[in-house]
Amino acid sequence: MRKPFDTRGFRAVLYKEVIHVVHDRTTLILALLLPIVQLLLFGWAINTRVAHISTAYLDEDRGAAAVQVLDALRASDDFDLVYTATSREDLRQRIVAGRVRVAVDVPPNFTAGVRAGRPVQLQVLIDGSDSSIAQEALGAASSIGLAVSARIRGNVTVAPLIDVRPRMLFNPSLRSANFLVPGLIGVIMQLITIFLTSLSIVGERERGTLDQLLVTPIGSTGLMLGKIVPYAIIGFVDFLLVLSAMRFVFDVPILGNVWLLLLLSVGFLISSLGLGLLISSVARTQAQAMLMAFGTMLPSILLSGFFFERDSMPLFMQWVGYAIPLTYFLEILRGIVLRGETMSALWPSVTAMLALGAWLIVVASVRFAKTTT
Amino acid sequence: MTAAISADRLTKRYGDRAVVNELSLSVEPGSIFGFLGPNGSGKSTTIKMLCGLVRPTSGTGSVCGFDIEREDEGVRRSIGYVSQSFSLYDELTVQQNLEFYGRAYGLDPERRALRKKAVIDLTGLPRYADTLARNLSGGWKQRLALASALLHEPQVLFLDEPTAGIDPVARRELWDLLFKLASDGATLFVTTHYMDEAERCSRLGYIFEGDLIAIGTLDELRATPGVATPGTIRFRVGTANVMAAFARVRTLDYVRDATIFGRDLHIVANEGIDEARLRADLTAAAGRIDAVERIEPSLEDVFVALTRERGAA
Repeated sequence: MRKPFDTRGFRAVLYKEVIHVVHDRTTLILALLLPIVQLLLFGWAINTRVAHISTAYLDEDRGAAAVQVLDALRASDDFDLVYTATSREDLRQRIVAGRVRVAVDVPPNFTAGVRAGRPVQLQVLIDGSDSSIAQEALGAASSIGLAVSARIRGNVTVAPLIDVRPRMLFNPSLRSANFLVPGLIGVIMQLITIFLTSLSIVGERERGTLDQLLVTPIGSTGLMLGKIVPYAIIGFVDFLLVLSAMRFVFDVPILGNVWLLLLLSVGFLISSLGLGLLISSVARTQAQAMLMAFGTMLPSILLSGFFFERDSMPLFMQWVGYAIPLTYFLEILRGIVLRGETMSALWPSVTAMLALGAWLIVVASVRFAKTTT
Repeated sequence: MTAAISADRLTKRYGDRAVVNELSLSVEPGSIFGFLGPNGSGKSTTIKMLCGLVRPTSGTGSVCGFDIEREDEGVRRSIGYVSQSFSLYDELTVQQNLEFYGRAYGLDPERRALRKKAVIDLTGLPRYADTLARNLSGGWKQRLALASALLHEPQVLFLDEPTAGIDPVARRELWDLLFKLASDGATLFVTTHYMDEAERCSRLGYIFEGDLIAIGTLDELRATPGVATPGTIRFRVGTANVMAAFARVRTLDYVRDATIFGRDLHIVANEGIDEARLRADLTAAAGRIDAVERIEPSLEDVFVALTRERGAA
């Protein structure tokens, strides 16, 4: 019978395994560096306090009190004034297009009202699609109203002079599912496509079937496409399933054009397949491919804007996010589902996503051709 | 007649190390070229260069008249390649593997069906047509690999140790198949470690540490200087006690060289020594001597001599 434990056997296996680990330099480096890099990235990126909410401003009053409101907004950490609107329609457009999350409208006769001691209204439009940002904006806007009132009146005991009238655009009930479920769809889709493609191509390399394929007249582009199309189809079917679940199980309405969403999801699939191809052109073994695919997972979840507002992240983290196809697709997905956006507002994200995808595929093909001859 | 395969100073370097060094050879159409050499001597790299899988560092080569670098497409269409390890799809059946390769080579459906049947019949696979490749034994897997390499009727077939790890019967049957292919006009380029297989090839090349150190027919190789030293003759001694006999012959002044082959001892001795003398000298040390006979140098002797000569140089 085999002994349950013997030190000689243990040491023999340990000896062999250490050699394995040391020899497979790539896997070793990946295994050692990935956790610390990921921890550093996310330690910086995870900032649950929402700040620097991009804000647009419309001054219809042009008086001294309006300037005070503007100063208070500027001084606040919560709001970043990024745009000065020229009309109510312009202000509304900004928020619908997703350029800003909050729009502050100082109505005409604001200063006159304040001078006369009449209560005045401050109109605040808030994009409710991300419930956590909306809550924060709501609180911050009210406290600015109170602070400015107090400064004008000199005390805070009486009823506030400035009445902050928040209005939620989109997702008025502030359901977090409305925000999180579309994001989750993007995350899941990207993971599936990356894992499937990278494992499938590296599997051929590992089994030695790649050489056999390469002696046939199949071109390298044909080979790549043939390998990824089945997974693109699987990815698309997945997308239809999860989108239906979002609509009918989680009850998240789709405000925009569903056909546009489906069309753009194909673009997204191609981009994430590109990332999978890039991994498979670098990885020698399936273990390496798994590690690399895993390495893309957390950044995709944490830096793409899925959980945490990208505007609140350090600039460097925002740049890392630009290298992830999901970042753009989340903009598109949420834009269409939650705000009913059209191509006229979405084109920057669409262009960037497709360009990134094309770049990934080209780099992967070039690398692939190099490693095989 | 132009050569089916030719290489001119073909070289592959990885860094400073030449894995294949200025290798030149040519193989006639319809012949079987046996490519031999120790493990790691550059056999597989040579094949991969000729198949277009590895880009040569320098030198040129052609297969069926196509340049291996500039006309790799033409090369691919005219060759079949059976690699060292089984490299078809385990989770596909025999039929499906062949169907895939038929499509990969762009055969139209009609010809595909015809060719599939032809190669299945040729390799004796009919009863396994619907078996998953993973469930085939080693010998049958190699037949499947051969079958899929033959689908597009290649003029040249590269086989990298096709019989490694399969049983003697399967090995013999596979070689019978290879002969049939060659007699039908195909050119075969085969690497092997088995001397009996090598002896069945029309011509042979021996590569050692990246250098092609011998090339020719079996008889030509046997006559290579260093193998057949003038004034020497060869004996085979069969005995149960090979080690003792080996120790003894090395002390005999008329013995130039001795090598153990299994339970036999191959001895190179000075001319004029006869069987009786050798038997008498060995019996004291090894006890019973079963056989002593004059032999021609075998292929193995040739390679042992060539390798030693290189090692000494």
